[in-house]
Amino acid sequence: MSGSLSCSAADLAVLLGPNATAAADYICGQLSTVNNKFTDVAFAVDNTYLLFSAYLVFSMQLGFAMLCAGSVRAKNTMNIMLTNVLDAAAGGLFYYLFGYAFAFGSPSNGFIGKHNFGLKDFPSASADYSNFLYQWAFAIAAAGITSGSIAERTQFVAYLIYSSFLTGFVYPVVSHWFWSADGWASPFRTDGDLLFSTGAIDFAGSGVVHMVGGIAGLWGALIEGPRLGRFDNGGRAIALRGHSASLVVLGTFLLWFGWYGFNPGSFNKILVTYESGTINGQWSAVGRTAVTTTLAGCTAALTTLFGKRLLSGHWNVSDVCNGLLGGFAAITGGCSVVEPWAAIICGFVAALVLLGCNKLAEKLKYDDPLEAAQLHGGCGAWGLIFTALFAREKYLNQIYGEKPGRPHGLFMGGGGKLLGAQLIQILVITGWVSATMGTLFFILKKMKLLRISAEDEMAGMDMTRHGGFAYMYYDDDESHKAIQLRKVEHRSPSPSGVTTTSV
Amino acid sequence: MASSTISCNASDLIPLLSGGANATATAAAAEFICSRFETVSGKFTDAGYAIDNTYLLFSAYLVFSMQLGFAMLCAGSVRAKNTMNIMLTNVIDAAAGGLFYYLFGFAFAYGAPSNGFIGKHFFGMSDFPKPTFDYPFFLYQWTFAIAAAGITSGSIAERTQFVAYLIYSSFLTGLVYPIVSHWFWSSDGWASPARSDNLLFQSGVIDFAGSGVVHMVGGIAGLWGALIEGPRIGRFEQRSKPLTLRGHSATLVVLGTFLLWFGWYGFNPGSFAIIFKSYGTSPGSSFYGQWSAVGRTAVTTTLAGCTAALTTLFGKRLIDGYWNVTDVCNGLLGGFAAITSGCSVVEPWAAVICGFVAAWVLMGFNKLADKLQFDDPLEAAQLHGGCGAWGIIFTGLFADKTYVSEIYGGDPNRPFGLFMGGGGRLLAAHVVQIVVIVGWVSVTMGTLFFVLHKMELLRIPSEDEVAGMDPTSHGGLAYMYTEEEIKNGIMVRGVGGEDDHVQGHVGVL
Repeated sequence: MSGSLSCSAADLAVLLGPNATAAADYICGQLSTVNNKFTDVAFAVDNTYLLFSAYLVFSMQLGFAMLCAGSVRAKNTMNIMLTNVLDAAAGGLFYYLFGYAFAFGSPSNGFIGKHNFGLKDFPSASADYSNFLYQWAFAIAAAGITSGSIAERTQFVAYLIYSSFLTGFVYPVVSHWFWSADGWASPFRTDGDLLFSTGAIDFAGSGVVHMVGGIAGLWGALIEGPRLGRFDNGGRAIALRGHSASLVVLGTFLLWFGWYGFNPGSFNKILVTYESGTINGQWSAVGRTAVTTTLAGCTAALTTLFGKRLLSGHWNVSDVCNGLLGGFAAITGGCSVVEPWAAIICGFVAALVLLGCNKLAEKLKYDDPLEAAQLHGGCGAWGLIFTALFAREKYLNQIYGEKPGRPHGLFMGGGGKLLGAQLIQILVITGWVSATMGTLFFILKKMKLLRISAEDEMAGMDMTRHGGFAYMYYDDDESHKAIQLRKVEHRSPSPSGVTTTSV
Repeated sequence: MASSTISCNASDLIPLLSGGANATATAAAAEFICSRFETVSGKFTDAGYAIDNTYLLFSAYLVFSMQLGFAMLCAGSVRAKNTMNIMLTNVIDAAAGGLFYYLFGFAFAYGAPSNGFIGKHFFGMSDFPKPTFDYPFFLYQWTFAIAAAGITSGSIAERTQFVAYLIYSSFLTGLVYPIVSHWFWSSDGWASPARSDNLLFQSGVIDFAGSGVVHMVGGIAGLWGALIEGPRIGRFEQRSKPLTLRGHSATLVVLGTFLLWFGWYGFNPGSFAIIFKSYGTSPGSSFYGQWSAVGRTAVTTTLAGCTAALTTLFGKRLIDGYWNVTDVCNGLLGGFAAITSGCSVVEPWAAVICGFVAAWVLMGFNKLADKLQFDDPLEAAQLHGGCGAWGIIFTGLFADKTYVSEIYGGDPNRPFGLFMGGGGRLLAAHVVQIVVIVGWVSVTMGTLFFVLHKMELLRIPSEDEVAGMDPTSHGGLAYMYTEEEIKNGIMVRGVGGEDDHVQGHVGVL
């Protein structure tokens, strides 16, 4: 009894006796229709799944905008939010024109794609509009990360240039290497040898997205130097506190929300069975991925909570938020191929990695307003290592194809090849992004297009370049510098003057 | 040989199986096989319902999140002293809209069979659900109805009595808007592209997700409200140029804009209502189906918004000399309002053009508004009315033949975009749409606002406007501060304050 709906008229005719050919044709025709309708069902289901995942990933732009806004000083709020809006807008245009083509335009070579420029010859059997939109949402996420490292002191023109370059070229090429069917390090590769018989396993982009964004940010922040007042003359670090913890939490939660599109959505399809007629299918793996994602974040948050309580003596909301996000950045690489208990380990270590990278940054007088390089670069790299240690053979086979003797997690008995591939990934991403984005930032600096002037930095970018302060809580018939609390007459005898707190 | 249906007729099958002698056994075999196929067919129908309803419901939730987005956009765009007022209007739009649309709005919109002007079934959702009208469809349409009412609240913000909001909002959501949606979206509507006969100009109007039906309706209603009650105090009092009454929080503006962008992925692609439909000649013959069109619609939507944002960024940099966040946000939204009409029937490259022009249309209308001393705190009439109208024209120019045919069926040679070789009839129908919407909304909402004005129910007194609506009508200010100076926050100096019941505050948006 086979599990497929195929039907051989010749076989059936024998079973049905003489003059049964027509009957056989009829029956087989109907079964063929049934089979085809299932194909259509799968298209509808998978596209629905992927589109809504894309919308979720898009909502991370909003989350990051709010996180950034809350983490910078009020006088720079409009600037950082505009960069987030423009990341998405410019990214949309450039990724459509050539970014997607460089990333996924198959057939091609191992380095870069070369079809589907401006979505030409689209859609095809291998990719539909939902795939494009989903990948666009990822591309703009990478560019958004970098903006955090160079916040509060970068010329807007520099943002436009680096963002277009990153989303249109640097990032797509990296995603080609690790995610396309052609890429030299891709585990999906069909037309050549897999790197170390496995390819690099970076399911949703601890390396491709988070490290790329983080390393780019690292160079931007290094080359332009710390914000004024960040390190005093004695070399001590002064905290330049963000102006709104509410926005930080709002942004963090929105990023968490969107991560449910970022990680589970990276399966692209949900209607795939691993064992027909049973519960064993990709829908489970999707759910499991959502669970590992959740556990890693939760554990990282708790670890950071207690870690910081020990280190600095209080319960620190914004640090917990950053720890949470570090956990997510780390699990992103292996979310689909590890067990939930392993995700807890991932989150625990990610919190410590972030704390450590932050301490290191302070020592080296490296200033990153969003800790983006430490979080996305550092925890992203840890996530790739983590995957090499804990990936399960069974899950790898389900997702990347059956391969007997496939390398898998070192601690799961899978040998060291996967770890080798992941280390290569870390090195190659660091090298490529440093060479491209590092050079770009350096050129921008030489052309005096990178950092703003000291006076502008003291006054705040909103005042000097964006038309005024972001906030105006009282009508200004006086100067912008101070806002005076005025008593307001109440018309009705209502109880106490003020009512609710702000959001 | 495969057929396109899974129907199975026992009487057809029996003779084919009668090669054997035993007729009874053959008949039984045929029944058995056919009943299995019937079951399979039924299961596919079920699967289709489950998939499409899931799709539509989640799209509805996305459109609903646009209420939150618009509330934040409105809040950030008005002065702090009017924040609670504008946000309450947004909450009540949704709430009152829910009730009135349920009671009769949906019936006026979609109560088929009916006439070309107005619907007449499903009052209070009686006879629900039907094969083509299930609860998710109602919910989805409700979210659209409240979107239209929300738009109007922006034009009359900061100076309108709350009672007036309640009245106009119920009237708009319960009657004015549903009738317009009947004309263009119901299968009976006189200008609908899905009519079985007597299509307007043999074409009907293609306003896929509502540049006209939603955006123009909301915008024109707002236009009249703002015109009749006049500009805010202080807006046009100086000779030299209009005074910008700045919104109190750019953060809320960006938050609101991004949420609207997010929700638009329900607004535009969701308007297909059905995603499980192949465009191939037979089942499974093609990867190309309505799911592709849905994805393409999400892409055109995205590109139009992105292009409008970039165009506004550089346009404003040239004109005003700096990079303006809030203007870029408005430009972005104008791009979305414009692409809403043709998002499903144009190519992605055309969407880029749509967004580019929409940005200039908005900037142009804003300049015009200043010249005519028209004050709209959210630029709602300019954005939704102006860019909405551009979007309708745009569709008449760029609608693609294949996509129109795939989505609307009918005559494969029906009119399509003028620039795509489709003749002028679609464009003509669209011009009619603009005229008719402007006329209908002006007559209904314009009259209503005028009547409210005459009854002194429209505008608030000047003292209230100067003090702010929150302290005077809503129990107090939206925000509270501590009195000490904050190093890196907002510096607040207490002045007097014997009636301060100051509680600690959490972070401030």
